[in-house]
Amino acid sequence: MASPATTVSATSDPGAATPGGGPHPPIIEIRGLTKRYKDFIAVDGIDLEVRAGEIFGILGPNGAGKTTTLEMIEGLRTPDAGSITVAGLDAIARSEQVRKVIGVQLQSTSLFPYLSAAELVELFGHMYGTPNPKARVPDLLGLVGLEGKANARVEEMSGGQQQRLSIALALVNQPKVTFLDEPTTGLDPHARRSLWETILGVRDAGTTVVLTTHYMEEAEVLCDRIAIMDGGHVIACDTPAGLIRALGQEAAVSAFIEDREVRTENRDVAPPEEFAALAGVRAATLSGEHGGMRVRLQTADTQATLIGLLELARDRGLTLGDLSSTRATLEDVFIQRTGRTYVSEERSEDRGVRTEKRGRRRRRRT
Amino acid sequence: MQSFWAMLVANLKMSARNRAAFFWNIVFPAVFILIFPALFGSGIGGQPSVGITGADTPLRQQVVSALKDTGSFEIHEGSRDEELTALEKSDRSLVIVFPEGTLSDASPIQLLTGQSDSPSSKIAVASVRSALLDILGQPQGIAVTQQQVADLDTSFIDFFTPGVLAMSIMNAGMIGLATSFVAFRERGILRRIKVTPLPLWEFVLTRILAALVIVMLSCFALIVMARLVWGLNVRGNWLLITGVLALGGLSFLGIGYAIAAVSRNVETAAVFGNALSFPMLFLSGVFIPVSSMPDWLQPVAYVLPLRYLVDALRGPMMYGDGIGAVWVPLLVLVAIFLVGFGVAIRFFRWDAAAR
Repeated sequence: MASPATTVSATSDPGAATPGGGPHPPIIEIRGLTKRYKDFIAVDGIDLEVRAGEIFGILGPNGAGKTTTLEMIEGLRTPDAGSITVAGLDAIARSEQVRKVIGVQLQSTSLFPYLSAAELVELFGHMYGTPNPKARVPDLLGLVGLEGKANARVEEMSGGQQQRLSIALALVNQPKVTFLDEPTTGLDPHARRSLWETILGVRDAGTTVVLTTHYMEEAEVLCDRIAIMDGGHVIACDTPAGLIRALGQEAAVSAFIEDREVRTENRDVAPPEEFAALAGVRAATLSGEHGGMRVRLQTADTQATLIGLLELARDRGLTLGDLSSTRATLEDVFIQRTGRTYVSEERSEDRGVRTEKRGRRRRRRT
Repeated sequence: MQSFWAMLVANLKMSARNRAAFFWNIVFPAVFILIFPALFGSGIGGQPSVGITGADTPLRQQVVSALKDTGSFEIHEGSRDEELTALEKSDRSLVIVFPEGTLSDASPIQLLTGQSDSPSSKIAVASVRSALLDILGQPQGIAVTQQQVADLDTSFIDFFTPGVLAMSIMNAGMIGLATSFVAFRERGILRRIKVTPLPLWEFVLTRILAALVIVMLSCFALIVMARLVWGLNVRGNWLLITGVLALGGLSFLGIGYAIAAVSRNVETAAVFGNALSFPMLFLSGVFIPVSSMPDWLQPVAYVLPLRYLVDALRGPMMYGDGIGAVWVPLLVLVAIFLVGFGVAIRFFRWDAAAR
């Protein structure tokens, strides 16, 4: 690989590099990164660049390779091929050095039991050799909104509070980059939103953040740039706005057709091709949903598509329920790139998360 | 050094705050110490044990049958050597030695007791003496002699306490440490450590030291309790006893780490730990001496690690043995320690999932 000295500048003054303006030096560079397991390829030769000072999101369904990618950067897994540079250091050959300049929050909560929040922050400070770690406890707990919980033991904290504490621990050594693996998974919507504020605060305090998520909305709201992963590949990488703009579509039209109508005389009267042929439609997907079928049309001309859809429904005698037109989202990006609707692990609270029977074998780890 | 001390303090806090460990290390053995001597303590309750030896005269037969008729004594007849050894080990409250020929002040019936003046031996002497007076009708020809051979006045608690300490150490290592270390792995704490600059050995070493401190404190607390409640008598060198406790702690922590390394999850570790420790509890001489077990069962005790810890503790604590008398069990404990940690290192995993 090229001389690491050329990338050292990425480590300087991350606080000055605010996202959204001007070119940013890459703090992480990944080339051809590959991880194989016995029965499948978890990560298949991906390239990524993370810029200093940004929140970089890795978005994808379960089994896409997000966590494997993260754990290879962190030094928890050894890649089968490819190179990783973190803050100018070869993260594969010199992972001991890299550990000192990164902070890590793992998918499992991973907190020592029976210790209080303040004791844990202090302990981790000592583990990194930080001078006088006790002095930093109030600041760090304040940053993650746990100032009132300094003396609470881990067992007494809620899941959200434990996640916040994990994030505080991932910042103890004032890292150049901090890695958060699905930080909001399992949290209720309120706790999730409040954790977003915390993560934005971490970035604003000058730390580059790399996080994984399977929540489309989270990636769209929180991340400065997003890499969408699927099946071990990066299928798109840009700012959320850039990804949606590149779709060239105006909106997504969605409607629900009840099972009764699909199943009886109109069963084969509504093939996807018929929907795809409607005016303005760029892509059409049909997916089974409880009690019927969901039609989702990506359109460059909302009005023409809506008229076409309504006429089709009238001609076929279909009743369209839950008809809506929304502006395009990252989900439409995923649909366009993969031809599948996006299936997330939890389907309840997220807008646009679908249920669809998938033939694909579920993978052991993400 | 900074991280070492911080980790040691953190591990001490974690161990001290773990209620389950507190139960297994202190409460459970404390209940044994409180209850078992009351149930089985020969030196505390029960009948005085009287040894009969000497010439087999008609007088002796008369006395033995009279003593048996009272139903107040446990009678053992044996050779002079056998009975004196039993007296030394406090298996007899007193030994009656019958003279050859006729009874006189020159050749009296001797009542031998140990050097000590324990209440139980005084009661035994007094009651045997009054029984003899009833039979003979005269005080002449009965001499009470204190046996000059070292009598240890060992009681059940002296025998039992080393066994309970060994049990506490075993539980701390094979169940407490094994399950908590597997829980650390399951929760991803080991991987969390791996992504910090802290070397794993520093974590493991501080954890061992913290566990040792807790084990030793538990043992000393149990010793104090046995002394206050039952008058435990510790005869050996405290330095040696402390050393044996520490070595025993290391050996069983080694077994605990080995169990943790080969266990897939906390449940498996608990099953392994219990399955291995439960039989040991009954077959290693904690409750009854291995020599009192059926002959066919005795060889089993030789392959049980707990037996060696019990032996290494009981020698110095109960009989005041020096290191020379217990070097064999000590060497076995060292070997167990090495094998345990060898297995632990060989099968160590960072991760709950197979890789």
